[in-house]
Amino acid sequence: MKSSSTSRWPTQAWLGLVPFLAFALAFEVAPAMMLAKSAFTGEAGLSLSNFGRAMTPAVRSAFVNSLGLSLASAASGTVLGALVAHAIVTSRNAGVRHGLTALADVTANFGGAPLAFAFIITLGSTGVVTLLLKQVGIDIYPSFRIYSIGGLAIAYVYFQMPLAVLLMIPALLGLRREWREASVSLGARPLEYWRYVAIPILRPSLLGCFFLLFANAFGAYATAWTLTGSAVNLVTVQIAALVRGEVQLDPALADAIAVLSLVIMLSCVAAYQLLVRGRGATT
Amino acid sequence: MSSLAIPSAELPSRAPLWRVVVIGLFLVFMIVPVLATALFSFSVRWDRTIWPEGFTFEWWVKVTSKTAFRNALLSSLFVSAATVAVSLALVAPTVYWLHTRLPRAKPLVEALAILPFGVPGVVLALGLIRLYSSVPLPIINTANILVASYVVITLPFMYRSVMNALEAVDTRTLSEAAQSLGANHVLVFLKVILPNIGAGVINGSLLVFSAAFAEFALANLLIGTRFKTFPMYLVEFTRFDARQASALAFISFVFAWAISLAILWVVGRGRRPSKGAGQTKPA
Repeated sequence: MKSSSTSRWPTQAWLGLVPFLAFALAFEVAPAMMLAKSAFTGEAGLSLSNFGRAMTPAVRSAFVNSLGLSLASAASGTVLGALVAHAIVTSRNAGVRHGLTALADVTANFGGAPLAFAFIITLGSTGVVTLLLKQVGIDIYPSFRIYSIGGLAIAYVYFQMPLAVLLMIPALLGLRREWREASVSLGARPLEYWRYVAIPILRPSLLGCFFLLFANAFGAYATAWTLTGSAVNLVTVQIAALVRGEVQLDPALADAIAVLSLVIMLSCVAAYQLLVRGRGATT
Repeated sequence: MSSLAIPSAELPSRAPLWRVVVIGLFLVFMIVPVLATALFSFSVRWDRTIWPEGFTFEWWVKVTSKTAFRNALLSSLFVSAATVAVSLALVAPTVYWLHTRLPRAKPLVEALAILPFGVPGVVLALGLIRLYSSVPLPIINTANILVASYVVITLPFMYRSVMNALEAVDTRTLSEAAQSLGANHVLVFLKVILPNIGAGVINGSLLVFSAAFAEFALANLLIGTRFKTFPMYLVEFTRFDARQASALAFISFVFAWAISLAILWVVGRGRRPSKGAGQTKPA
């Protein structure tokens, strides 16, 4: 009954999707289209001129900073997270495994203002760890500042690393014990096992993890804003300043910056989907 | 770094040194900032000495007795609850419909539901303002737009949670059994399908709630100071009173913890074969 009515009245089935599609159109697709339309419209119709004109020195440095910060925090987050995930999955103690996975689960969702503030308390100029290090003769200030882009990178790693742990655990669990035993029995040293067997198998997961972390960092705003105000020039900080009207700029130029960052983010998420989810669906 | 080479040392049954070091450093990095923030909120003063100069409840009493504190907390609870309600009403029936009646449309809806991962909050805010600021409807500058935008950015959590749960259930047999007993579509969904995907729905709702509760960029840009959410209240305090801000930050941490632990508990009770710990959201 049901399936026959589905095939006979396909339009009726589509009606069921109308509420969702209408919502997505109104609050997701249309705003993005609006930005794209204005960004690609020059004086004489369709044009890329807004993108060129939007690249003022401040905006260019914002992109350099954002890309650098995302690259650094995603790369170190992926490597450190994979290392911790490896330590977790190879642990024989079930309590350690569950406890650490729960910790990663909880901390991957930390971020934004409270996290930024926790780092001010910890590594700020009169921070707890700063004072402790001073006591043992290590004066990290003024050569290091938590309110700088380097400090921001440390704060970002705080939520990037646990996310990488969660993303890498399933991949590492997929490494079969026999593969290592086989390579060892063929004379491979541990380093060779990792280099020629394990890392190539893990590569899609590692890359997918990197892309997701990259997008995660690139789109972040609250952490940077709380920690540094507008002292560190990032793309999201620039866009927020444009929205609040603190910086005067042609709306089309602001939209071009937004569209450019949207393209970077969406490419990263697409890459993650293709590398991790796509594979997961076929296996 | 060379610890990658050492895993062969795990063949003996004692925990090898590299693992103890990796896990130890991870624990220190993840726990110290939170612990420092908590301790700082109870400290009389802690910016000159390596240990607090005494303990007090003063900052907690001060910060929690303000009407503005209660208002901000209530605003955030209200917006988060409304987001969950709208998201559930919109996503759960859509996913059910998609799965049982219109699998052909899955790629389209999935794309719309996953794409928000790649949309930075500041960009969505800009797009919504451009689109709706000139529309004579009570949209911009109200809590409505905030809820709508939160539903958009949390779509990936709700969609994936509900879809994963649904894919693990034999919906066809269940629906046909119910329909043969005379139940219509609405009744089948409410009485038969919903109880079977309960864990997924609760999991999605908790993820959505915690993301909405912690969100800052959209709240700050879309409504400004007229409707203050908890994260906005916290950011305001970080600018002028560190001790009261640390109490607020710690409240946020405990809140995020409680929700994450609730999620782990729900997922653990859901007896379904776990697909690993990868079901989480990026910060």
